[in-house]
Amino acid sequence: MAVIAKDSLIGRRIPKMDAPEKTAGKTRYVQDMKLPGQLVGMILRTDRVHARIKRIDTSRAQALPGVHAVLTAADIPQKPIGVNKDNPPLKGDKVRCIRDEIAAVAAESEEIAKAALKLIEVEYEDLPGLFDPTQAMQPGAPVIQEAKPNNIAMVFDYAHGDVGAGEAESDVVVEDEFYLHYVTHCCMGVSGVIADFEPTSGNLTIYSNTQVPFLHKREFSEVLGMDPGRIRIIQPPIGGGFGSKLDIYPFEPIAVYLAKATRRPVKLVFSREEEFIASPTRQPAIVKLRSGCKKDGTLTFRTVDILLDNGGYTSWGATIPFVMMQTFSSLYRVPHCLYHTKAVYTNNPYAGSFRGYGNLQATFAVEQQIDKMAEAIGMDNLAFRLKNAQAPGEVTGQGMVFKSCGFKECLTTAAERSGYVQKFSANAANRSKPSARKRGIGMASMLHVGGGAKIYPSDGCGTILKLDDFAHVTLITGASEIGQGSETVLSQLVCEELGLPMSAVTVVNNDTEITPWDVGVHASRTTFIAGNSAIGAARKAKEKILALASKVANLTPEQLDMRGGCIVRAEDGEVVMPLPKLLRSLHFSDKAELVMTTNYYEPPSVHQGKDFKGDVSATYAWATQVCEVEVDTDTGIVKLLKVTAAHDVGRVLNRLGLEGQIEGGIVMGQGYALSEDMVFKQGKLLNPAFRDYKLMTAPEVPEMDISFIESMDGEGPQGAKGVGEAPAICMAAAIANAIYNATGVRMTNLPFTPENVYRALKGAS
Amino acid sequence: MVERYVAAKTVEEALEALSGGDATVVAGGTDVMPQSQAGRLKLGRTLVNIRRVAALSGLALTGDEINIGPLTTVADLNEHDLIRQHLPVLADAADKFASPQIRNMGTIGGNVCNASPAGDLLVPLLLLNAEVELRSSNGRRRMKLQDFFAGPGKSHKKPGELLTAILAPLPKAGFTARFEKFGTRPALDISTVSVGIAGVMAYGGLQEVRVAFGAVAPTPMRGPATEHALEGKKLDDAAIEAAAQAAMQEVKPISDVRATDWYRRELVHNLVRKVLQDVARG
Repeated sequence: MAVIAKDSLIGRRIPKMDAPEKTAGKTRYVQDMKLPGQLVGMILRTDRVHARIKRIDTSRAQALPGVHAVLTAADIPQKPIGVNKDNPPLKGDKVRCIRDEIAAVAAESEEIAKAALKLIEVEYEDLPGLFDPTQAMQPGAPVIQEAKPNNIAMVFDYAHGDVGAGEAESDVVVEDEFYLHYVTHCCMGVSGVIADFEPTSGNLTIYSNTQVPFLHKREFSEVLGMDPGRIRIIQPPIGGGFGSKLDIYPFEPIAVYLAKATRRPVKLVFSREEEFIASPTRQPAIVKLRSGCKKDGTLTFRTVDILLDNGGYTSWGATIPFVMMQTFSSLYRVPHCLYHTKAVYTNNPYAGSFRGYGNLQATFAVEQQIDKMAEAIGMDNLAFRLKNAQAPGEVTGQGMVFKSCGFKECLTTAAERSGYVQKFSANAANRSKPSARKRGIGMASMLHVGGGAKIYPSDGCGTILKLDDFAHVTLITGASEIGQGSETVLSQLVCEELGLPMSAVTVVNNDTEITPWDVGVHASRTTFIAGNSAIGAARKAKEKILALASKVANLTPEQLDMRGGCIVRAEDGEVVMPLPKLLRSLHFSDKAELVMTTNYYEPPSVHQGKDFKGDVSATYAWATQVCEVEVDTDTGIVKLLKVTAAHDVGRVLNRLGLEGQIEGGIVMGQGYALSEDMVFKQGKLLNPAFRDYKLMTAPEVPEMDISFIESMDGEGPQGAKGVGEAPAICMAAAIANAIYNATGVRMTNLPFTPENVYRALKGAS
Repeated sequence: MVERYVAAKTVEEALEALSGGDATVVAGGTDVMPQSQAGRLKLGRTLVNIRRVAALSGLALTGDEINIGPLTTVADLNEHDLIRQHLPVLADAADKFASPQIRNMGTIGGNVCNASPAGDLLVPLLLLNAEVELRSSNGRRRMKLQDFFAGPGKSHKKPGELLTAILAPLPKAGFTARFEKFGTRPALDISTVSVGIAGVMAYGGLQEVRVAFGAVAPTPMRGPATEHALEGKKLDDAAIEAAAQAAMQEVKPISDVRATDWYRRELVHNLVRKVLQDVARG
């Protein structure tokens, strides 16, 4: 008989399963879809930043041939959406920022819809605008949301220890104010939705780009006042998420209202300009940070006061303090920490969730002060970091438990591979030389959830697995694919258990009528949570299969294994029977059975209370990134030459997918630091196009040296941790430290665009 | 609204279509299409596509000047032997121009007629003392390129006229020209400022100096004060600094979403200094 040796898919380079269709241009996005009878939906957005709506007249638009519906706030129930339920899908009383939706049309064509929007007459009474968050709480400041007369949208407070005692024992105290700017996701695929409502059955099908289908379903049922059982969400492949599709936005219920009004499917897709103006941003922040240490480099305390510009409404951006506090309290061992954050309403755009979720902002502040304190006490900043770095077994003031922790390995690996310590001193010594081009090297590290984040009462994911008569596996998972490669890694984990090739799996993951519950794609959780869920389902299938095979082979299940699509003898790999044959013998027997299993995985983590204490994730990811830059002092341009990254990923599953995540995140963080900037003047976006909103392009991508630290997490799927957000987090901080190393100028305000850097180098304001 | 589309095959057909008035000419479409879609350019009633007018393409050396057909793409400029050999500064600017896709579609005629203060081919063409040939149903005329521009997006081309040639005299022996463009990114970026300096190298300095700037005034501009500061001077540190000072004083930049006027002046100063230091090193 044939023999099959033990083999493993773990750590291999496996191309993404959706790559062939995507590279051939065959993937059908929501933009490509056309349902029979479909109408075009379009939104009229205000051109005012803060104004009372005195009158809207839609009669001329209604009369235009080809227009099927024109809706204003008067035509729909007033059910606000969003985290604070402060955002009515169509605004009736007043507008609070430039993106505000005031009317919507459904028409036969895009041309007619556009023409109809132009025929809508709106009369406003302008109100004084509020654009500076520091002015929001001043007496007499304009009130943005009547329900919050003090303009405070959200407050987060956290503390451990006694910062006064910490400060008293400090030899050095540093204090800075950091400003972090507006950027946006720039997904290749713009926002879009198709709503299809059948009035007789009451069934609503939504073709949506959402990252959170099950939470979305609930949101829709609330805003529409519908039985959630009648709502089905289908997710066509999406052209980028990065957190932007975590919330419900006004355009989605608007599409449903239009579909209900017209009894036709309505497709609503943004223009690129609209995508810039009306999609969420990363949360801008003013971070006041005060930290101290002893002469020997021991950190003593940290006091944090953050002001977030909430904009006119509240989306997930307002909740980033939850993640930011983890970095302040727990990236390093800090005995005393006091943390306060406020999000205040203004007439600026509102922020949503964005890869990293506040951690870019927090890390930017923390890691610059680490360098400052090390310099103040005359200590090498790598040694300073190592002295205060977390280690396995540590329980932080916030109650996070670091069961596996490769932080110190990340620090030493990135430092050694980049020659950090030597280059840092050499660059600092070269600062005063006359050359216009200065070299700098800078380091930053990060801590981020790596085993989900229990921000809802559940952080679980369900899996249904079925094997057909030919041993083909259908993996039905609640976890959405948003380009991050989850289909591939989940299939890989199942194939690893069942001894099957990758080609043996089809993934179904885009229809709430079929897939089991999942909380959504966020918090770098899919590989960890959905991975563990899929492994559990596969193990149940394997158990069933081996139980049957043991009868056929006259061996115990423990003496058997599954390899290469066959049942084999575990000790020598000798083939007992091909798997399809075994499955058919089970199916077509007297006891006729199929192999179908279900599994639900809920991570062992804690839903924190109001004190924000508790072990919120099943594990934590760590990383250190070292950036090398060249600063041209004639122009202020900062060229990113090389990034040396070391990431504690638990274990490498799909090496190709992992490298892709890290490389992409590095470039996203690079853009945040160096070039991306939404320029607002009095609440209006001045650069809603790629011409003047500068994304990094291929020539700017730096050389990268990426190392993986395998800390083999005990709870992780095959030992792995989540890493989706990690690579973007350190970049701005590391680049800021590198610019300082090159020039001696500390940049506390993002972005480091050439003019901003040049201005700082000149000491000009 | 476009009511008539003319795909002209000859210059005469194109001029005929233009003579009716309210017409928009399109060649590569890399400026016309995005601008019209963004609502910044209103297309005329007649859309005249000149892409297939054979007489408007091609490059030739006639006598002592190079005749560049307006349909010559930016990619062609970068690759054509005549340009590389005689007008390398133009090839260099073409190499720094936008993206490969745009270089393949965009034409030199379009870059000239679009009359953007930031047009990347315009600064080198000013350095080369280029002229333009304009034709209408009434005849043809030639004009110096520096007299062609009237304001941002505006030129002295009349509605019935078509740009039919760009002519650059063959430079003298010893002529050297440099073009330096600054944008936020090294590639695929509109110029924040651009600087061009040319002249004939002699006695450690430049003679017959020509200086031009982009994106620092309503039109691409020559820099007479900087030219005067440099003319015949040995390129030592003092002369270079004097020229850089003259340059930053004679430009008239505005503040916009890309840069403040202050930063643009600083860039002009520093780029002029950098180019001159480079020229001085040879």
